[in-house]
Amino acid sequence: MNSGSVYVLVTSGRTLSQGRAMEKGKMTSDYEDAVAVCELDATSMESLGIENGETVVVKSGIGEIAVKAKLNKNLHPGLAFIPCGPYFNYLLDSYTQHTGMPGFKSLAVTIDAAPEMKISTIEELAKKIKEGK
Amino acid sequence: MTEANNIFNAVPCTFCGCLCDDIIIEVDGNRIVKNTNGCAISKERFIGHAENRCLEPTVSGKTVSLEKAIERAVEIITSSKRLLIYGLSSTENDAQREAYRLAELTGSVVDNTTSVCHGPTILGAQESGEATSSLAEVRHRSDLVIYWGANPAAAHPRHIPHYIRQPGEYIKDPKNDRKIWLIDIRETTTARMVDRFIRIEPRTDLEVIQTLRALIRGHKLDVSQVGGISIADLEEIAIAMKSAKYGTLFFGLGLTQSWGRHRNIDAAIRLIQDLNAHTKWGLLPMRGHYNVSGANKTSTWVTGYPYAVDFARGYPRFSPGEYTAVDMLARGEADALLNIAADPVAHFPRSAVSHLTKIPVINIDPKINMTSQVAEVNIPAAIAGIECDGAATRMDGLPLYLRKVIEPPEGVIPDRDILRMIIKSLEKVMK
Repeated sequence: MNSGSVYVLVTSGRTLSQGRAMEKGKMTSDYEDAVAVCELDATSMESLGIENGETVVVKSGIGEIAVKAKLNKNLHPGLAFIPCGPYFNYLLDSYTQHTGMPGFKSLAVTIDAAPEMKISTIEELAKKIKEGK
Repeated sequence: MTEANNIFNAVPCTFCGCLCDDIIIEVDGNRIVKNTNGCAISKERFIGHAENRCLEPTVSGKTVSLEKAIERAVEIITSSKRLLIYGLSSTENDAQREAYRLAELTGSVVDNTTSVCHGPTILGAQESGEATSSLAEVRHRSDLVIYWGANPAAAHPRHIPHYIRQPGEYIKDPKNDRKIWLIDIRETTTARMVDRFIRIEPRTDLEVIQTLRALIRGHKLDVSQVGGISIADLEEIAIAMKSAKYGTLFFGLGLTQSWGRHRNIDAAIRLIQDLNAHTKWGLLPMRGHYNVSGANKTSTWVTGYPYAVDFARGYPRFSPGEYTAVDMLARGEADALLNIAADPVAHFPRSAVSHLTKIPVINIDPKINMTSQVAEVNIPAAIAGIECDGAATRMDGLPLYLRKVIEPPEGVIPDRDILRMIIKSLEKVMK
């Protein structure tokens, strides 16, 4: 049953499928399938009332993006994971603590079930970025 | 360049910082048909080399000759007041050297992808020094290997099977004589490959490292837990680290990109220095792109600094946070970008990418990537280590010679030659 939003820290990083798809080419559907994903623990999936593969919207302080939910039984409650790439970075601010390095790990976000939302393709996301949306 | 039966032995893989140099590549005509010994990503890189390629230079989406693309690139560079040259980690050392020459010639900023991966590692080392070792030394001697904030199963798939779970001179049975631990905020695939997984709370790496330092120095602490680990467990970990004959700490972006940034690395280096008062320990960063380590080395040889170098005053200056690519773009300071062998549109935060869409971008890359979509000028390049030779530096600093196993697509030349063409044209214009 959908009981509303979940508040988690989302971290980004590498996955094997992200690495393989990146080497094949970023403008491929393989890459989109590999990076437009949010891994959630069982408690978060249950709170959102969603099944594996359903769409969620992830909202940070600067924006929101729709991605596919994926159950990760090994994740600890309170933590979510999005593979590194343009979908995660769409939510990320540019503050680097004067080191050059943005905060790719542990970004505070809200996640909601979003069955009505469409996940942007890589081309659509590139177009959105180009148009400054 | 051909070898018997079109089989190339001992080819270094140009995917990650492991630079595994035992890859066997089989070629049929001008296609790679087999990769033996490579990991899943290596196979994709070699066998999929022809996919998603950028084959012709373009200016504003229209196909042009290489000369025309260079001409437009030179126009952009000469009309720019604050050019940013960025990327360089997925290409070979000679191309990097040409990029620094171009930066000096034009008074530009040159930064490499280190600024968004192990930049804090370098800052930490500048504060505290380095207690390093080599991958061979680890294989031959290390009886305790700890990965911290790293997921080699995904990012460096052969790191454990090729370098760590292998017998060495003093480690005859790698399964029993060497223990492998993982410290991370997530139970990743790597957790299932190691002997022990220790989960810590997010954003507590610095506290946990400093606690271990205090315990190793013999201090008693009046708290019950740090970072989600009980003090009793931390004491046991500290004793195990002190008791190792030769310990190695491999760390990943879980330390460099999280809260604390270079302070985490500073503390980790000091932890290793503390341990060296009792036994032998070394520390090594898990470098991601195959030649990002080389980008730091060539930049240091040529400019004196490893990344974030500004030539605006005619001599090199180093200031991370100021001359680093994300900061320069987020501040709206760069008025043109020359991107070589990287994809900042896919890997930079949104406001930095947003500025990229407002300035002219020259993109040199073998493949069509997200930066190609916003670039005014796209110039295809040969893939180093597959279609042209060169040199690259492994994560532990070992330089390796890259092999050419097939010809690049017709009319496509290496990054270094494209940059030399730009420099030659610029020198004529600037006379």
